[in-house]
Amino acid sequence: MSNDLAMKAENVGKKYCKNLARSMMYGAMDIISGSTGKMMDSSLLRKDEFWAVDGVSFELKRGEVLGIIGRNGAGKTTLLKLLNGIFMPDRGAIKIWGKIGALIQLGAGFHPMLTGKENIYVNGAILGMSKKEVDSKFDSIVDFADIGDFLDTPVKNYSSGMYVRLGFAIAAHSEPEILLIDEVLAVGDVSFRRKCFKKLGEMKEKGITWILISHDMGTIKNSCDKVMFLDRGRVSYMGTADQAISEYYCTVSGDGTMKRSDLAAGSAADKRTGITGVNLTGAANGDNKSFATGETINAQISFVSEKRIDNPVFGIQVMGMDGIFYFGTNTKISGFHIDHVEGKGTVSIKLFDNGLKPGLYRLRVDMHDRHMGTVDLVNDAAYFSVKGGAFVGDAMFYNRHEWGLA
Amino acid sequence: MERKVKVYIPNRTMKMGVWVWYEMFNALVSNRELIGRFFIRNMLGKYKQSIFGFLWIIFIPLVAIGTFTFLNKSGVMNFGAIDVPYPVFALIGISVWQLFSDGLSAGTESIVQSGSMVLKIKFPIEVLVFSSMAHVIFEFTVKIALILISFVVFGYKPSVWMILFPVAVIPLMFFTLGLSMFSSLMNCVLRDTARIISLGVTFLLFLTPVMYPLEEGGSQIMRLNPLTALVNAPRDLIIYGHIRHFADYIVFSVVSVLFFFIAWRIFYIVETKMPERI
Repeated sequence: MSNDLAMKAENVGKKYCKNLARSMMYGAMDIISGSTGKMMDSSLLRKDEFWAVDGVSFELKRGEVLGIIGRNGAGKTTLLKLLNGIFMPDRGAIKIWGKIGALIQLGAGFHPMLTGKENIYVNGAILGMSKKEVDSKFDSIVDFADIGDFLDTPVKNYSSGMYVRLGFAIAAHSEPEILLIDEVLAVGDVSFRRKCFKKLGEMKEKGITWILISHDMGTIKNSCDKVMFLDRGRVSYMGTADQAISEYYCTVSGDGTMKRSDLAAGSAADKRTGITGVNLTGAANGDNKSFATGETINAQISFVSEKRIDNPVFGIQVMGMDGIFYFGTNTKISGFHIDHVEGKGTVSIKLFDNGLKPGLYRLRVDMHDRHMGTVDLVNDAAYFSVKGGAFVGDAMFYNRHEWGLA
Repeated sequence: MERKVKVYIPNRTMKMGVWVWYEMFNALVSNRELIGRFFIRNMLGKYKQSIFGFLWIIFIPLVAIGTFTFLNKSGVMNFGAIDVPYPVFALIGISVWQLFSDGLSAGTESIVQSGSMVLKIKFPIEVLVFSSMAHVIFEFTVKIALILISFVVFGYKPSVWMILFPVAVIPLMFFTLGLSMFSSLMNCVLRDTARIISLGVTFLLFLTPVMYPLEEGGSQIMRLNPLTALVNAPRDLIIYGHIRHFADYIVFSVVSVLFFFIAWRIFYIVETKMPERI
């Protein structure tokens, strides 16, 4: 029945205490109550406690990759530590089928005074490998970590790159069936990351299950089968990567300058000077959130200016949710001269036959004076998705084209 | 095919009832290699980048013994008549004593010292306490060699019952481990614990007949101190060939072993709540 499951969390909660003095008191109380065998019901909040992870439930099948995104302090790492068993839940239950391995911090557990070789054996043992196992994988670990000459050097003299490479190499060779990764791949240089992802790819082919925390939406989108968006300890959304990322950005922007809905609803219209709204329309009037590759996109940028601004410059940038800056221009570069603006107005731009590949995009809009001093900048003036339309395949972008034969 | 499932729920180890014993022993056996690795890690880490290295194991007892020998000879402290050369007497005493004092200090610090690791890698935490004890036992074996050397130097002939010396210290190890189980967790919550322990251990050295002999028919209060029996019994074996207060020793040995198992069991329950407080 549930035999193809790798992990199941039911209403999992973990509480923290905000106040150190109280935390110490509660800790002492826990020791006393644990000693007498009358542990109190941990699902009740005591004073100054809050749920850092609050009622998280999910199921993960074998071979699936789950991404976890969310702001700093949303509870991502705490959740990962709960799944790893470092923390025990205060509420709910976690079930795990298979050997679990975690990359919460690469090289955690290294003793700085010990050599790389000695640390391989110690770390291997901590990760559950026997000496025999480490012996047989030793060369492969050293090879992957690429620390050849420094094997007998204390790790305190390692560069940070060598340190994480060795940490990853040992963890990857412990052959977990479920791997938890907390942002650790963001360290290290490009070639290291490529190497890691290659290794992870090989592990995935063998049917390993992953859970990945990352702030890099490109990684999330490329690697994950489903994505959980965690907000203040709760699962705010769980589903496809695109949708989760979009939810995440919308929520994050809620703390920023302007919310998408605010712009659309025009509540930002009480601005004295600046951009008040962006309206997107495609070939088919109506749905202004979704376009097809190759479709022409019209953007109307509304603004207001209390004072007269001479020779203003308006710009737009199309940002992908993978963090890539796809396209950008402004009126000055395009040679579109505006003499002056005062009061309300609208600038429009036509993006002919857009070459964007399917995905989610964010539109950044800015407004400058003639010295290119920023008058206003809206980081997420609009969100839109591109789906269907002209064929892009695995290519980066679509180019409008025409074949000929002579 | 039935696959093994791991379940994490609140207070899991408490709800397990008596089955927890099975899991505790199982964890200890299956983690013996890890305990060994931690032991090596501690040892190498401690004595590297140090000129005297392992010699530090014997420096501290030698300095202590030198001081007490001086106090004894100069008449500042009079320990009465002892049947053995005083330095030999003191060396045996301090070696056994340090099993307790060093063991408790190291055990108390063990979890917090590896706090960053506890928070980042899943492994059985009790391994830290056990391996800190392993380290102290290793140092003890070095001191046994030192004791043997002192016999030669002072021309002293010990009783043949000395062969039981290493066995006779086992109850003291259980007692120390039991205390460490509590103090190491307490230290996660309150850092004062380690300081209180190191202060307490210093005073206990004066309150326990370690550097001075337990007088026959002497203070009864002193005999209520479990350490008196546990520390003196191994030394009695060498000097007298028998344990003088044998009943005391047996009672406190049984109590120590029981205490250890209770402490271990409580450790296993409370441990689940401690990482977050480190």
